[in-house]
Amino acid sequence: MIQILSLLVSVSLLSFIEYILPPILYIIVFPGLIVVLLMLFFMIWLERKVAAKTQLRFGPLYVSKRFGGVIQTVADLIRFSFQEFIIPAGADVFAYIQAPGLLMAFGLLPLIFIPVGPYYANIFPANYSLLIVIPLIIITPIYVILLGWASDNKFSFVGSIREAFLVISYEIPLILSILSMILLYGSVNAINGVSFQIGRGIPGIVLNPIAAFLFLVVMIRTTGRFPFEISEAESEVVMGPYTEYSALFFGIGMSLPYIELYSFSLLFSVLFLGGWWPIVPSAAAASGVVGGLLLPGLVVFIKALIVMAFLVFLRAVYPRYRIDQAITVGWDQALYLGFAAVALSIALVWSGLV
Amino acid sequence: MTGRKNNRIRGHVDALATGFKYLAEPNRMTLNYPDESMNLKDNYRGFFAVKDKTCIGCSLCEIVCPPKAISMLDLTDAGGKKKKRPMIDWGLCIFCYFCVDICPTDAFQTSQVHDKAFYSETEYQTVHGEPMQYPYDYSKRPDYKEIYESFHDVAPDDPSAGSKKVVPKFDKKRGIKYEHPGQP
Ligand code: SF4
Ligand code: SF4
Repeated sequence: MIQILSLLVSVSLLSFIEYILPPILYIIVFPGLIVVLLMLFFMIWLERKVAAKTQLRFGPLYVSKRFGGVIQTVADLIRFSFQEFIIPAGADVFAYIQAPGLLMAFGLLPLIFIPVGPYYANIFPANYSLLIVIPLIIITPIYVILLGWASDNKFSFVGSIREAFLVISYEIPLILSILSMILLYGSVNAINGVSFQIGRGIPGIVLNPIAAFLFLVVMIRTTGRFPFEISEAESEVVMGPYTEYSALFFGIGMSLPYIELYSFSLLFSVLFLGGWWPIVPSAAAASGVVGGLLLPGLVVFIKALIVMAFLVFLRAVYPRYRIDQAITVGWDQALYLGFAAVALSIALVWSGLV
Repeated sequence: MTGRKNNRIRGHVDALATGFKYLAEPNRMTLNYPDESMNLKDNYRGFFAVKDKTCIGCSLCEIVCPPKAISMLDLTDAGGKKKKRPMIDWGLCIFCYFCVDICPTDAFQTSQVHDKAFYSETEYQTVHGEPMQYPYDYSKRPDYKEIYESFHDVAPDDPSAGSKKVVPKFDKKRGIKYEHPGQP
């Protein structure tokens, strides 16, 4: 009796580890919430520090002086947590409270559908991963617009209108750039895309540099990095859509671009930088959590970190585009580049070069 | 030249290259203030105080002060004699030293102390180098020696107390450079 019981327990434990733990691991630990939080702390600090260094300043220094002020962002989080949350008198209360939550949710959702290792196919349906990621990435700015609308403040309103203009001008280039990679890989499954790159030995950025460049530009635009930091331009519209927010809700507004940056960079390294190459797990290793998820995930993560570091570095170099300049680039050069990227992919596939 | 101006790609590449150059070789212009502070020149204009014995109460300093930081107080000393003495409001003073220059009896004790911290705005207003109290107790006024010392052993609330002193030097390649006088 006891033997049967212990057998049952061990079997259920095993199946728990095998079937339930990996998705939890994926969502909660890596590349999900915990890594997102750590990445946030590190990236915001890195952005300030790199911008300061390049601009001949010191940057954050006083909180933990010996480590260059690296826990400054933790101090900021504590400050945000104990601030008072104010609802302006004229605000649309329901939308005002609900919008940051939805924003955070939709900012985090794409992370679930970006495979960081071949093991992903066992835990989530991976066949349409790219088809799900694109709309999720595109829908997030809608809540930024809602945020500005609900605040009843002219700065918020101007900021959200700017965001709306920019969203529609850069949406099509983004779709075109991903579409060209889908054409090239012949699949909307990102795992197939990576095995295509590993199989040919050429990363996507070499196969279709136009699409990679375009994706990078749209990534800068969507995450509000310089020179496209237009909707939050502090010297023009205070904090754009987030002007009226305080306390943790403002923290969400501040950290959301970094979360978007994170999911975009993961997608970029999967689509263009060869995913988990040079780690090529064998079929046996790919079915295990360590060989199929953690090790390849680490490689993808490091690549994404490098991309993110480059993008936050741009703050130190660029001024801000005027809104009309940015929209012109979106509808003019970026759109043409998008068509060129698709044409290049079609040419490559037709000519049978890849 | 115009060709380069119109070349957008070249401009982007140049900007990024410059950024990377500075990132790799940081050339900090900012002084890391409470840890390092500048070695000031002899004629640096810092806080000052009026020596009671030398001042003749002529009010010239009050008249010349551009932001009206000086106002004359009517004080009575121990012997019952009426005196006018300047009260200086550091919230208004711009350290132009017009008052120091115009004083006929050279009654000002000057110093190079410029980074004093005040905890409340009542400490801003000083007579004889001390915070003003109402009513003013003339017998407790500091004498010349005390004023001099309060400036020269740096005030305990001075944020730069114990900092490394550095000297700014012009450098052709890097612009401003800070040197520690102790090092070659
Ligand atoms: S230094 Fe200039 S501003 Fe200050 S008290 Fe003297 S005259 Fe007035
Ligand atoms: S100018 Fe000199 S002597 Fe005249 S009141 Fe001012 S400090 Fe005194």
